[in-house]
Parts: sequence; C-alpha cells; structure tokens
Amino acid sequence: MNAANQGWLVARREMRERARSRGFRISVLLMLLVVVAMVVLPGLLDTAQTTKNVGITGATSQVVEQALSDEGGSGYAALHLRRFDTAAAGEKALRDQDIDVLVVGERRLEWREKADPELQALITGAIQVSTVLERAAAAGMDPNTAAQLLAPVPVESVSIGAVPGRSADDAAAAALMTVALLAAIVIYGNLVLTGVVEEKSSRVVEVLLARVPAKSLLGGKVVGIGLLGFAQLAVTALAALITSMFVDSADLPAVSAGVLAWVLVWFVLGYALYAMIYGALGSLASRTEDAQAVAGPVGYVLVAGYWLSFMALSADPDGMWARLLSVFPATAPLAMPGRIALGATAWWESPIAVVLTLAAIAGLVSFAGRVYQNAVLRTGAVIRLRDAWHKHTEEPQPPLTPPLAPPTQKVTNMLTLQRKSSRWPLVLSTAGVLVAVVILTVTSDVVASLIALLVTFVAVRALVQHQQRGHETPRAPRSG
Amino acid sequence: MVLQFDGVHKRFGSLSALDGCTFEARPGRLTGFLGPNGAGKTTAMRAVFGLLQLDEGLVTWRGSPIVEADRARFGYMPEERGLYPRMRVREQLVYLGELCGRTSSEVSRVTDLWLERLGIAERAAARVDELSHGNQQRVQLLAALVNEPDLLVLDEPFAGLDPIAMGSMAGLLQELAATGVTVLFSSHQLDLVEDLCQDVVIIDHGRVVLAGELEALRAATPQRIVDIHYRGPAPAWASVPHVRVLESTLGSVRLEVSRDTEIAALVSATTAAEEVTSFTYQPPTLSDLFTGAVRT
Repeated sequence: MNAANQGWLVARREMRERARSRGFRISVLLMLLVVVAMVVLPGLLDTAQTTKNVGITGATSQVVEQALSDEGGSGYAALHLRRFDTAAAGEKALRDQDIDVLVVGERRLEWREKADPELQALITGAIQVSTVLERAAAAGMDPNTAAQLLAPVPVESVSIGAVPGRSADDAAAAALMTVALLAAIVIYGNLVLTGVVEEKSSRVVEVLLARVPAKSLLGGKVVGIGLLGFAQLAVTALAALITSMFVDSADLPAVSAGVLAWVLVWFVLGYALYAMIYGALGSLASRTEDAQAVAGPVGYVLVAGYWLSFMALSADPDGMWARLLSVFPATAPLAMPGRIALGATAWWESPIAVVLTLAAIAGLVSFAGRVYQNAVLRTGAVIRLRDAWHKHTEEPQPPLTPPLAPPTQKVTNMLTLQRKSSRWPLVLSTAGVLVAVVILTVTSDVVASLIALLVTFVAVRALVQHQQRGHETPRAPRSG
Repeated sequence: MVLQFDGVHKRFGSLSALDGCTFEARPGRLTGFLGPNGAGKTTAMRAVFGLLQLDEGLVTWRGSPIVEADRARFGYMPEERGLYPRMRVREQLVYLGELCGRTSSEVSRVTDLWLERLGIAERAAARVDELSHGNQQRVQLLAALVNEPDLLVLDEPFAGLDPIAMGSMAGLLQELAATGVTVLFSSHQLDLVEDLCQDVVIIDHGRVVLAGELEALRAATPQRIVDIHYRGPAPAWASVPHVRVLESTLGSVRLEVSRDTEIAALVSATTAAEEVTSFTYQPPTLSDLFTGAVRT
C-alpha cells in the first residue's frame, strides 16, 4: 500500500465523517438559506417599488394621459394614473403618500419631498411628446408622420472595462471571489487545525501513525477537508444560480470563463498553502483552546495580506506593489485573481506565480510533515515551533574520546556534516530564483533576471564543487 | 524470523531513553517486556513502528530493517489508548484495517469475526464514546488485530482491566501466539507475565539487564528459594551452610540457598520441626529476578 492510497483513505474518512456530522449539515443548510435569501429578498423588495401612483389634476389632454399609460407599460415602472378634481385634493393625496407625484395642468410636477428623477424624466418626456404631437397636428401635419418623426432612437449603453476582454463584472466577480477565498481558507483551514488537535487529544494519532506516514495523514486530511469545502461551495453557488433563474431579480455578473478558471486554480493553491500551515501548527497544541492561540497569527497574516492586496490593486493593478504581492506565495492567492480579472497581468506572470506557490506548498508539505511528525506524539503543554523542527536533527553527541569511538559513530557524524552542508546550494538557488523573479516582476527586464539566474547557477556550481572537494579529504571530527 | 533490537540508542536531550538496547522476540511465543517506569519500554515499542527517529542501532524484522510494507503486518496497541470517539465501531475498525492495505471486504470479514468473538457484535454500529469502558478496551485491542498481524506489540495491555477481562485477554494472547504470531507486550504485573510468557526482557535505564527464556533464566540463577511451612518451634536453619533466612514468621519460613546446597542437609535440619506441612524448593520467581536485575 503506498502513501498516496493511504492518503486517499484518510481523505475519504474525513469527508464521510464530516459530512455525517450534524454541525456540518446545519452549516450547509444555513449557508444555502442565506444565499437563497440574498438572491430572493432584493427581488421581493423591488416589486414593492415598481408601481408608481401618478395623480393628475387640472386641464389635461387625452394624449398626455394616453402617453403616460403607454410609458407605464413599457418603462421601468408600472404607472397608475388617478384623476383629482381639485389641486387641493391631489395635494392631500400626495401628502398622505397615496400618490408619488401630482401633475398639475401639464405644466407643473408636485412632489411630497424630493423629486424622483426617473419618474420626472418619464412624465416630462410624455408631456413633451404629446405637446409636440398636438402642435404638429395644429400645424396640419399627419399624426402618423409626426409619430414617426418622434419615434425614439434606441441608444445602447455598454461598459467596456479598464482593459479589452474584461468587463467591470469580471472585476466585481473577482473581488467577490477573493473574499469568498479568504473566508474559505479561514474556515476550512481552521477545520484542519481542529481536526489535527482532535486526533492528538484523543490519542488516536499514535494508532494511525503506526500504519500511515505523517505526510499521508496530514495530506489526506487537507485534501479531504478541501474537497468537502469545495463541494459545499459548489452546492451553494449552484443553489444561487438556480434560484436566480426562477426569481430573475439579481443581476449575475457575466464572468468570463478564463477568469473563473484562474480563480478556481488560486482557490485550490491558496487553500493548500494555508491548510498545511494550519495542520503543522495544530500538531503543536494538545487542546483546542491552545490551538486557536497558536494559529492566531495565521489569521492576522491572511487578513493583512488581503487588505494589502486590496489596496495595492485599487491603487494600480499594474503597479509594483500589486505585482510583488501577486507573485509572493503567501499573498498571491489573494492578489492574483483580482489582477487577472482586471487584465493587468503579463502572460508570464500567472505561470510564475503558480510555480512559486506550488514550490512553497511543496516546501510546506515537507516542513509541516516534519513538524507534525515530531510534535504530534508529544502531549501536554504547547510545543514551540522551533523545538518541533529541531528535534529531528538533534545533533548526535560528539564521541567522548575519539580514539575509542567505534567506526560507525564516525560515519554517522560525517553523514550529518555532509547533509548539513548540502543544504546551502538549495538555499542559494532558491534565493537566486526569487531575486530573478522580483527583478522580472518589478522591472519587466527579462535580460536582467536572466543574468541573475546565470549568476545563481555559477555560484551554486562553485559551491557544490567546493563541497565535493571538501569531502574527498575527510575532515577530522570536531572534538578531535 | 524474529523482531530484533540491535544496539538501539535514543536520546531525548540529555536523557538516554534507550542506551544500546539489544534483544529479540520470537514467533509463536509471548515475550514479556518488563522494566520500571521510565525504563524505555514505550520508547522501544514506538521504535518498532518508526514513530521516532533512532540515534543509532537498528530494529529488524525477519533479518532486515523494518519498512512500511512490514508495518502493514504489525499490530500495535499504544499505552495511551486512543480511537476516534465519534466514529462507529465497525467503520473505525474497517478503516484502520484498510490503512494497512487490506481490501474493504477482507477487513470487514476479519472485523466481524473478531467483534463476534469478543461479544461486541451487537455494538458494531454504536459510536465508540457510547461504549462502556470495558468494551472500548476490546475495540482498542481489535484495532491492533484487524490486519491479522504477524507481530503484535501491546503496551500495557492488562492495565485497567478487571480480573475477568484480564483472563480473557491472556487467553487471547496465548491463542494468537499458538497460531505463530510474535507477541511482545509490556506489563508491571509480574505474576501474570510469569504465568503467561515463555520469554522475558527486562530493561532498566534504556539497557537490557536480563533477557531470554524465562525457565532458563530462572534455572541459571545461583540461588534457590525454599519455602517451608511447619508446626512447633522453629528449627535452626541458619546453622546449615550457605543458607540465608529471608523471611521468618511463626509457622513459615523463606530461605535463600545456593544452588549447590545439599537439599538433604536442609531436609534433615527441617526434621527438627514438630510437623512439616509443606516444603518447596524452586528457583527464584520472576518477581525475584526483576528486583535483583533492576536494583541499582
């Protein structure tokens, strides 16, 4: 049985057990209700507002009345006309809010307090049209010809967005989905956190680790909770979509498929990144209360990252800060979807951000696996992160007296030395690649970043060669 | 074909939990793993399952270092009992079996047999936290058995059991050993280990101080213990050469004699008593071996 199969078994258990819990079902139901309510309620409130009562008093031609009822049929609101014999009666109805506006003798509109500009334009338009038609008839023009002359010309109104191929809807949707992503990372990350602590506090973790490597256990948990969270979001989105088809009130943003796909990619990456951190931190605590304290800083980082990205993007989606934040792994999931929706990215920026984030995730899997493995069997007080990290590589005690030390001990010592020094090329190359990426994103200077990569390559090569030479002549034990 | 510890060292900071620990557990036999608290028993058992990184030395199974595939055929009951409290009994056991690479149908069959065998079949659909303490202990044991292990490592399996549960646990372990399973378990109940185990390993401060076949270990000690119950005045046992009086009360005495002491001399000294109701001559018990071995 390989680690991946075991990881999948772990993920499946997470999904099955959590989907079965009452808490999860209630939260799904609540979220569905909230979303459906958000779609339906504005529609209900809107219909209450769509009929306008128009009072008419004084001399009015048939044509104006006709035009007003026609407008009512075709316009945004149904107009309900009421005739008043005297202006005083009309004004009383206006003050009692029985009518929204009173048309006095076709030349004056009276409002209770403030004019409703749309209604004002509608009625004024109708009066203008009917007056012109009457004048045309008086001048001997055929009413049909006059009507044709006055037929409105349709003028379309479209927002083209800041960049070609992206609408304002895309940006709005990206902003919305970034908030959803932030919420999902916090909610499901915390599920990973408490899940790890629960396994630790119920001590079942020792039974599990005797059969499953720590990486599979942590990885499976992250995947299982992630899939469950994804399913919950998908169900919620589907419910919103179906409801809006029936209610037909809310305007769904017309998001382009490309933007949506990228948002989903960042959703997965962002969750994976932070869930690993939450999982590692969870293993440090033995009680849920402690876990919240340990993981608190992650929440601050997330919110700070979100606000930084939000401000940088509203200031200038092409600016230096927006570019840096959108390739830096910790903030990329929060900044990149917005930038993509605004169309501000160069073609190579998204792939670089994805690769960097994937690298960070891979690093975190190792980091989290090690911290988890070292910490998860130690119960009691909260373990410091540094201790959980170092336990593993605790240096073997130097041999007491070198001449008496058995040969195996020397070998172990040398092996640790070798492993320790071989870490530096990796650190150096990572730093070099990061510098190159920063140069590329800030200056867009491909040549400069290539030079940085080249320098890194040469330096790493020299370092490796130097180390190999060092190992050909074995070093004496430090204590000797 | 054995579980073998070969010079295993494990340090926690300045504390040496295992300090060159070397011993073995053989198939088809019960091996009692003894030692005072903090001697390193749990650390050693965790090492079998790769739950900690050894500083030095090796733990081997059938002659080669233990790998994941081997562990799929191991069963483990940790000292700190633990199960998912809200998961159903049967589902939990099947899950733990599947983690060892068994197919779901295979594990289900084994699980059902064991649930039936331990008399908790009707609780199979209950959540673990709804079970009585005794039944939770049974499920914990089953968690170590669902993958039909070749090696069973149990950390204090008898702790917290009532006498009846202890009896059935003992019977179960003997039965498993009879089918060829290697069983290693730790315990503080020396009488029980003496009755149950063919082999014992005693460790102290991370070192093995005594290990081997229990009968042979007992026979190899230079002392013999003589228990005599009698009536009337106490004869002068102390005058017999190489005899030490360990305990003496009215009507009974416990003597420690050298293996080479003539029994006849003892018996003739004993005949001074009015009536001898019992006379036993035997090597030291496990309890005697233990206190002798870990005394520092």
